[in-house]
Amino acid sequence: MIACGHKQVGLRYLWLALFCVVLGMVLSVVMRVQIAHSGAVLMSERYVALTVLHGSLMVFFVLTAAPQFGFGYFFLPLQIGANEMALPFLSGLSFWLTLVSLLGVSASFFLPIHSGMALWLFSVVCFSVGAILSSVNFCATVTDARTEGMTLTRLPLTVWAWYVTAVLSLLIFGILLAACALLLSDWFLGTQFFAASVTSSVSLFAIWQRWFWFFAQAEVYVAMLPCFGIVSHLVATFSRRPVWAERASVLALCAVGVFGFCIWGFHMFSSALNPYSPLVFSLLASSLGVPASVLLASWLGTLWAGEIRLTAAMLFAIGFVSLFLSGGLSGLFLVRRDAAAAAITDDFVTGHFHLVMGVAATFAILGALFFWFPKLYGRSLNETLGKIHFWVTFTGVYCIFMPMHWLGLLGRARNGGIAVSGTQSPGAARSFITAAAMVTIAAQSVFLYNFFWSLLRKEQKQLRNPWRATTLEWFLPTPIPLDDFGGCPPEVYRSAYLYGVPLAGLDFLPQHVPPERLARFR
Amino acid sequence: MPGTPVLDDIELIIEDIRGSGGGKPPSRDDDGDDNGDGGNSGGERNPEPRRSSAKKYSTAIALAMLSILMFFMVLTAAFVVLRVDNLHSWAGIQMPWILWVNTVVLLASSGTLEMARRKLQVDSLRGFKQMWALTTFLGAVFVVGQVIAWRQLAAQGVYMTSRLASSFFYVFTALHAAHLVGGICALLYVGLRKFETARVSRFAAAEVTSYYWHFMDGLWLFLFALLYFGQ
Repeated sequence: MIACGHKQVGLRYLWLALFCVVLGMVLSVVMRVQIAHSGAVLMSERYVALTVLHGSLMVFFVLTAAPQFGFGYFFLPLQIGANEMALPFLSGLSFWLTLVSLLGVSASFFLPIHSGMALWLFSVVCFSVGAILSSVNFCATVTDARTEGMTLTRLPLTVWAWYVTAVLSLLIFGILLAACALLLSDWFLGTQFFAASVTSSVSLFAIWQRWFWFFAQAEVYVAMLPCFGIVSHLVATFSRRPVWAERASVLALCAVGVFGFCIWGFHMFSSALNPYSPLVFSLLASSLGVPASVLLASWLGTLWAGEIRLTAAMLFAIGFVSLFLSGGLSGLFLVRRDAAAAAITDDFVTGHFHLVMGVAATFAILGALFFWFPKLYGRSLNETLGKIHFWVTFTGVYCIFMPMHWLGLLGRARNGGIAVSGTQSPGAARSFITAAAMVTIAAQSVFLYNFFWSLLRKEQKQLRNPWRATTLEWFLPTPIPLDDFGGCPPEVYRSAYLYGVPLAGLDFLPQHVPPERLARFR
Repeated sequence: MPGTPVLDDIELIIEDIRGSGGGKPPSRDDDGDDNGDGGNSGGERNPEPRRSSAKKYSTAIALAMLSILMFFMVLTAAFVVLRVDNLHSWAGIQMPWILWVNTVVLLASSGTLEMARRKLQVDSLRGFKQMWALTTFLGAVFVVGQVIAWRQLAAQGVYMTSRLASSFFYVFTALHAAHLVGGICALLYVGLRKFETARVSRFAAAEVTSYYWHFMDGLWLFLFALLYFGQ
């Protein structure tokens, strides 16, 4: 019941994420309706609970679960030539903890605010323990279960990204657990860790914020790092070129992990921190631009002069690059101390993080799903429907989140005493955002139709490596046998991105084919 | 990517690792495990398939310790922040004397655990089991000792909710004890299990358990020092 195969656990996580993303989107429609007709639909306490539920579902069960645990559990052992995760018991256990957490988070919405918060905290504890167990499992697998020849330099970038994310998760979920332990202790045992600070110079808000942001800022990179790896993988595969500056990309992935762990303080410019610390955190947060730029340069360098194939998966990968760039640029405004201090809750921040974290990551997840669907289910998603879905969503999310940036700037101009002409414009913009959100969310039905139609239709002819990829998972039969490689683990001879190497009509070199076999075809 | 006869021919040799593709000849890894990096490379039959298993458990426990360390470091940060912030209004607690005894007991348990491993190295299974049982017993004594410490504090009228110092004392000791109980379960597992059919050798299991136990030992010394000097 608990110990089960990595592929099964991966699929369960993906189904869980699909359920949560649909639920989260429905909630966002309710919120937009609430904003458009303020007060008409929900009481304010319920609205806050709704926001918490939307955020929890999307951040924990979609953005953390799908790219890292969903695709990671399924494909990590396959890509490194292992038959199973290092500790299969932990795979199953972490999934069940995540499911319990989901049930708790959902149930907390229906409870009164006090008991709801307590249940929410317990659920987060469950999720954190599950995430830590998974991370231990991922790290042990990559460290000790790689097949012969799969050296660190030959690891696909997806594996690197899952690895770095797992290390980061190990650290930050420990932090969240500790913060929850103190809060639960205050709640149920009557201690006064947070109440004590109310009377002192350190405000309750600030002391909780320290731990919360220590976790939450790094959590952004837990969601984003696997997406970076996936996008690099897709861009190389569909450009038929090796990843440009692959080693630099690996270093950049590691650097994002390190910086992401260190920059938590920049969320707290408006609260009680040491007066010198904003400078340090501002510099650290700005430094994150360096690895981000390296990754961006690598994606563009790979695309440059590539033999680009605009499949739905590739479109979503390029869409990710675009959204990451737009969201990243608006992030540069927020690392400034004065800007961030004024922007704790405004639309600019909402637009920024939805664009860069929510939507960009979702694009990477969708790209990965289109790419790996043939391996997951032995059939393909429809490309035409995928492209329609991409273009409507891509246009839609820009129509939703760009006006939000503008609304944020407008609000700040007002706060700064700058006269803004056209008093009706914020309302009009909000209505436009709501309409765009409705259209974009409606467009997701195209994806859902494509997904279920592809899944349920009559079985296709088995697709062997439809994308001409080099990594090991594509050279196993589909459906993948229960014991993956069984008694014949592959041996790896080369890096994961040898594309564009002409070889008797083949433009890629699989990782596992021995040189002497290929020599016959030169 | 239109298929050509030549392409099809190449596809045939690369299509399936489990078929005629690039997989290594089947090996007899009774463990069902893949080889660890740098493990049984070279192609010859290595009669020690268990080594890779042990390595992954060692890695896993090291990583778990990293996460636990992070957990306690955040609690430590909470203690330091609130201690500094309440520099003048801080009301300390009288440390129960039994904590010193508990500390000695825990240190002794680390010693007996190492002696047990030495016995195993010289193939003295009986000696190993005796010392291992003693370690488990000392671990249990430590936990009971912590409970007695709580009762001593309660007898002084110092409860969890009395003041910040006591809250931290109870939370730190309870969380450490909870982690230590996990260690005792591991000790019982290694002590009672028959390893003839296990995936991992007794020696490897004892080694992995010892890492965790020594870590708990060190963590207690740190927490005790923090609580003692923080008063």
